[in-house]
Amino acid sequence: MEELINYTKFVLKPKEEILSSLKDEDNIFILSCGKCFKEFKEIPARRQLALAGGKEPECEEVAKILSEQGKRIVGCLPIDFLCNRTLTEKIISQKKEFSITNCLAVISCGIGIQTVAELTDKSRKDFYLRDKPVYSAANSIYQGGYHGMALYEEKCAACGNCLLGLTGGICPIVKCAKELVNGPCGGAKNGKCEVDKTKDCGWQKIYERIRTLGIIEKFEMVSPYRNYLIPDFKTRNTYNISLREKRYRNFYGGVYPYENKELSKNRSITSAPEPERVVIPLLQHTGLICEPLVKVGDKVKVGQKIGEGVSYISASVHSSVSGKVVAIEPQNHPCTKEKVMSIVIVSDGQNILDGSIKPKGKLENLSAEQIIEIVKQAGIVGLGGAMFPTYVKLKPPADKKIDVFILNGAECEPYLTADERVMIERAEDVIYGMKALMKALGVEKGYIAIEENKPEAIEKLRVTSYELRDNVEIVELKTKYPQGAERMLIKKILNREVPLGGLPFDVGVVVNNVGTAVAVAEAIKTGLPLIKRVVTVTGEKIKNPANLEVKIGTSFKDLVNFCGGILNENTEGGTYLLRMGGPMMGLIQEILDVPVIKGTTGILVTSAKDIKLDLSRPCIKCGRCVDICPMLLNPSSLGFYAEKENWQEMNTLDVMNCIECGCCDYICPAKRSLVEAFKLAKKKIKCS
Amino acid sequence: MLITELKPKEEVIARTKGKVLLIQCEGCREVFFPAEQVNKFKQELKNSTTITDDITWDYLCNHEYTKIRIENSKQKIMLADSIIIFSCGVGLQVVSNLISKPVFPGCNTLYVNGFQGLTPNQCDCAQCGDCFLNYTASICPITTCSKSLLNGPCGGAKNGKCEVDKEMDCGWEKIYKKLESLGRADILKGVVKLRDYTKVI
Repeated sequence: MEELINYTKFVLKPKEEILSSLKDEDNIFILSCGKCFKEFKEIPARRQLALAGGKEPECEEVAKILSEQGKRIVGCLPIDFLCNRTLTEKIISQKKEFSITNCLAVISCGIGIQTVAELTDKSRKDFYLRDKPVYSAANSIYQGGYHGMALYEEKCAACGNCLLGLTGGICPIVKCAKELVNGPCGGAKNGKCEVDKTKDCGWQKIYERIRTLGIIEKFEMVSPYRNYLIPDFKTRNTYNISLREKRYRNFYGGVYPYENKELSKNRSITSAPEPERVVIPLLQHTGLICEPLVKVGDKVKVGQKIGEGVSYISASVHSSVSGKVVAIEPQNHPCTKEKVMSIVIVSDGQNILDGSIKPKGKLENLSAEQIIEIVKQAGIVGLGGAMFPTYVKLKPPADKKIDVFILNGAECEPYLTADERVMIERAEDVIYGMKALMKALGVEKGYIAIEENKPEAIEKLRVTSYELRDNVEIVELKTKYPQGAERMLIKKILNREVPLGGLPFDVGVVVNNVGTAVAVAEAIKTGLPLIKRVVTVTGEKIKNPANLEVKIGTSFKDLVNFCGGILNENTEGGTYLLRMGGPMMGLIQEILDVPVIKGTTGILVTSAKDIKLDLSRPCIKCGRCVDICPMLLNPSSLGFYAEKENWQEMNTLDVMNCIECGCCDYICPAKRSLVEAFKLAKKKIKCS
Repeated sequence: MLITELKPKEEVIARTKGKVLLIQCEGCREVFFPAEQVNKFKQELKNSTTITDDITWDYLCNHEYTKIRIENSKQKIMLADSIIIFSCGVGLQVVSNLISKPVFPGCNTLYVNGFQGLTPNQCDCAQCGDCFLNYTASICPITTCSKSLLNGPCGGAKNGKCEVDKEMDCGWEKIYKKLESLGRADILKGVVKLRDYTKVI
């Protein structure tokens, strides 16, 4: 592994300068930046110091210089990525000390200082920092060419006029002290630069390189001048504004991965072949495992309840076929590495309905309690993937007043199209289910949230919900991941912030997935419990991607085979990656022999990564994960503590608020598996 | 966080010879990369030149990953006479250090504000090594003034816009207004600190 270069971009100003600029000030607060592009090593020590009294070496030094002159230091605070305005604002606004502060001294690069200065401009009256002067206590140092994600020796000055093709891939602008573009100056001695004897002559290196490449004869500088006009201000500014706009669109953070929905977008929902054998796990929801209601050898019918929940948060399971129970034993489960107690049923192929399956009557005649009971008996859980029992969502605590219902058809996860097809093909059921859910909650106002990349679904639902136009609004959302997360939807549609550690209940909202609404409609109209769902089988490695209506308990293998199998499975380069769900939040599966459960939104088979995950490198503190975390967490610090198994520290850094959206994994240039570590940490914290 | 733009086609192929290998970087996610133009360009190249292969990797700048990948596809790479790389300058230099074949850039790399700070930020820092923000109400004269003047406005601004580039606000006007609102405009009467260019190595 190559050595990372320490890329600290600032040094403290001389003592005299700090004192002269702050000579008229008192009650000073010192802010310092945690520094980017730096190895993480020093951070725990720094943080401990910070906890002990807000000191870190540089903070301490400035504090000493100032207090020697009798100035009062109100506090010191190190903040990682001070230039990240949103996070800095969040941290600063929690600090009450600022109300007794007269001014701020900032130790950071120029961007951090200017970001803090911009915050003092706030027009908000309650903002402590308003109109406080900001002083810089550090000089930024130019490290020309140290750009990019990996901090090795390779450099790029981002000059906008790349000459590397002429110079054999060695940049004259960063390697030549004089930035000459038309050849060596002639001042080098023994290959060393005349400006700085520790530096190699860039042009000598270029010469050697093009000679070994055999292109020396052709070497001539066609355009031996540097165009300083590019990039002009407008170009840069357009990029800059557009990047920021993207980051703040709809909600802070988030990413824009390739969607790849066109693979299965236009495939209508078809029925999967009848399974001969189903494996129905007794745990298909958030909560405790169900108790089996049948014994080995029992005959069961379609829709018969075979497992009953034992706790409040649970959902019963039903047989999806008619036939004979052949085993009740631990079986593979797509969500856990351990096997989970499951009921194995061999189908008799006749699909005889259970006697209890009857239509529940007209929606108008059902009371809220009756609807909730139907939802509970039907074992309906959130079909968006979280598998939270729906009836629990319909019974908000007495002190919470629910006034808005949001139907979630965002489907922001790339590749998946199950919800989109459901909205297009089963719009009536979607609206029917939505009406039932709103009635159960007793709310008047409903929203249907759909991302704008599904115009057909938007149109279809708009037409179908026309009679409800006074109460139901269709919200077209700009496509961004993770728009479909509850918090992001509530923030965007209602501009309400779900408190950290809280639930949508706390802001008077209930969010349900469109698939759930269809299941509710089905349970009322026909009486059928949740025994089938729509699953997208897709990915570059699937021959015929499809949206299938699948009975719960069907094996992934049957579905993949039905879709033409996995391409090039047995040939060279035929390794594949199997996931349940989409590429961002989907769970990686080791084997194909796992059953479809209630939360299976999709089966995704893509090419295996050419770089294995165990090659992940240490964090380089590039700050990209901090930039995109929609929950305003600091995944880089969290990842660091996860490695140290310091769960307590992770808890104080709010790991429990992580929504496991996978943005940090997606963006990490060092390919760290952050979400996996956070999931483990959350489990450990819960258990302790 | 490097932003790239496609080079003019003539410039890219001016020096390539024989069979060409294309390598594209899809790293630096969420950062501008002219993916569509590059694909179109590649298609044109495929019609006019012999292309041995078209490879897409992420984070070309990561030396280790690129090394492994080059090792894995060595045979394909050896078939080519020249290599065109669509990535930022860092990615290209990593590859050129690992392959002893002529390497040509397909893109120009641009510098964007707030770059050193990673989060795209409207503030900019020239890393001059001699911070002036204390005298200018924390608005940087070096980056917000197109002439990087330190001793006040040049007088060429009209309606608050710079004479060099009408898209750009006059930095000194902003500085003055901010200082005035803070009641510290008297700072401007003080001695002007000179910029020490030796601090930029």
